[in-house]
Amino acid sequence: MRAWGRKVKLNIFHVWVTGLAAVMLAGAVAGVVVFTRGLVVTNLTDLVPWGLWITIDLSAIAMSAGAFLLCAAVYLLDLKRYQPIARTATFIGLIGYSMAVLTLLLDIGRPDRFWHPMVFWNPHSVLWEITMCVTLYLTVLTLESAPILGSAAWFQGRWPRVATTLQNIHQYAPYLAIAGLGLSLLHQSSLGAAYGVLKARPIWYRPDLSVLFIVSAMAGGPALTVLSSMLAGRLSTRVHINDALLEKVSGLIGWVLMGYLYLRFWDALSMTYTYSPGRTEGLRLLTQGPLSFNFWVGEIILGIIVPMIVLLRPSLRRVPVLRMIALLMIIGGVAAYRWDTNLAGQLIVLTYLPQEIVARYTDYVPSLIETLAGAGVIAYGLMAFTLGARYLNVVDHQEVLEAHALPQLATSAAD
Amino acid sequence: MSEAIVGRRSFLKALAAGVSATLGLRLVARASASETGESSPHRWGMVIDQTKCIGCGYCTLACRATNDVSPDISWNRVIEAGNYGGEPVYLPRPCMHCEHAPCVEVCPVQATYHRPDGIVMMDYDRCIGCRYCEVACPYGARAFNWEAFDGPNPEVPRWGEPEVDRRPRGVVEKCTFCYQRIDRGLELGLHPGRDPQATPACVVVCPTKARVFGDLNDPESEVSQLLRRYPAYRLREDLGTGPQVYYLPTRKEEVAG
Repeated sequence: MRAWGRKVKLNIFHVWVTGLAAVMLAGAVAGVVVFTRGLVVTNLTDLVPWGLWITIDLSAIAMSAGAFLLCAAVYLLDLKRYQPIARTATFIGLIGYSMAVLTLLLDIGRPDRFWHPMVFWNPHSVLWEITMCVTLYLTVLTLESAPILGSAAWFQGRWPRVATTLQNIHQYAPYLAIAGLGLSLLHQSSLGAAYGVLKARPIWYRPDLSVLFIVSAMAGGPALTVLSSMLAGRLSTRVHINDALLEKVSGLIGWVLMGYLYLRFWDALSMTYTYSPGRTEGLRLLTQGPLSFNFWVGEIILGIIVPMIVLLRPSLRRVPVLRMIALLMIIGGVAAYRWDTNLAGQLIVLTYLPQEIVARYTDYVPSLIETLAGAGVIAYGLMAFTLGARYLNVVDHQEVLEAHALPQLATSAAD
Repeated sequence: MSEAIVGRRSFLKALAAGVSATLGLRLVARASASETGESSPHRWGMVIDQTKCIGCGYCTLACRATNDVSPDISWNRVIEAGNYGGEPVYLPRPCMHCEHAPCVEVCPVQATYHRPDGIVMMDYDRCIGCRYCEVACPYGARAFNWEAFDGPNPEVPRWGEPEVDRRPRGVVEKCTFCYQRIDRGLELGLHPGRDPQATPACVVVCPTKARVFGDLNDPESEVSQLLRRYPAYRLREDLGTGPQVYYLPTRKEEVAG
């Protein structure tokens, strides 16, 4: 192909980035429509006030969990060899949290008042605590990611002094890891608790939700980190991955999935005993009703059981393609769990009439504008990671390991 | 390795800091509660007599006019709730002004709060439109402004004149027990519940006097007397929300009479 009298070789990177830019543009247009015309352009109602955007927000936060887990492993448990993966995970966390902020700005009726929770405190509100966690942890992630920018060669060449300052932040990594661990544990669980404290919604009203949210995030977050590293390694020649390390993390994800399945089993089983208005209908909605395919196939079989088997069996997880499919399934399963949880509590409308606690059903399908704006936010996340992998070396597993041994030798030794 | 030990030690320090910060927050919360917690001699409540309600829906319309509510929103909804002796039974549903209001607890910015007299109020200048209160309310009493309410209010002037500002797009709104009438009435030395100017519009407009408003703290008020005389119930009492709206279930003698 020729353009501007120059030979241009179109490669997969150009096609990918152009495609993402197109989706981002569509999302931006949808966002402008949302801000000018208001939330009336969504299919949200007073019965189902939270929909697709909340799901994207919750999923983006869950997928960011790799950051606090790997930073804690490296800087608190002293598992130094995971440092390069922690770097990738931190960058993904920064992207995930910024995606969450974007969807929240879309979702609140008065985005111009986004700062109100900082000023008008209601410490009783789980949502207030969540907002504080998002703000504080986004700050931590920015500080944790600063050395990544500071160590990029092109940045050092242009602004050497700023680069040094940014790199120096790295010496505070252990402290940032502590802050990140505390904030993330609190935040990820609180997202479940935001649903779990509502007595008006019986399918949500249980303490398990906060536990299930943090545990599913502990599987989904690292899964996205490992999958993006592997994909970047296959698609780009500039990316260097250490597959042995990624395989080890994948095995651990398999164990997390087993714990998650165990908790899900008892959580679901405990809800099947005796009729409880609203809760029983909610469970039926999940296991037999309109959400049942999502629940059984998306969340349980493809989201937990299949990837758990693949990741726990060394012979299967060593095959990169199988491992990548398994990781993708986990990510899909965690997102499906967020979607199903959010809807199960809202699609059942419990009446408040005396002697007639009847559950009625409503439904929700996102509108085109909601879908486009949501897709735009996801495309932004993918674009940010792509550019990070290409220009900021966020997936570079050689950098630190060279100090110890050659990466290839390390691989064979680990086997 | 030494770095890891420092890490753990710092973690404990951070934990201690966190605990003391939480305690600090509790103190702040308590201080602010006592700041605004000037007590009120009144506790406003409503009694709705289902024997008298004929389901005409005038209350909904008078409310829309007085509070300038959009035709898409009902602060006060009249629901058909089964039948008794072949006659339909109605259940008008304003905001319950719960004593332990889930909406007040979950609001991240305290945009919804308790007045000293028990009314659950909205601060429309503070609300960020997250709709958590809507999800938390067991009574469906809250409505979000999905779009701006422009143009004339179809219920004005037939059902009344607006007494409060129209809410902007993007905030949640709800029944306020017509606080503006209560406050102005008290200033003028009137008696909310007895004098129409000081009583919620839905109560004043009701053609069958099915709705009664008054001070639950005053044993001589009509609401207190009714609650002494008749068995009453509240909606979803099992939730522990403590509604300030009481219902008198349909009674046989009055249906016959």
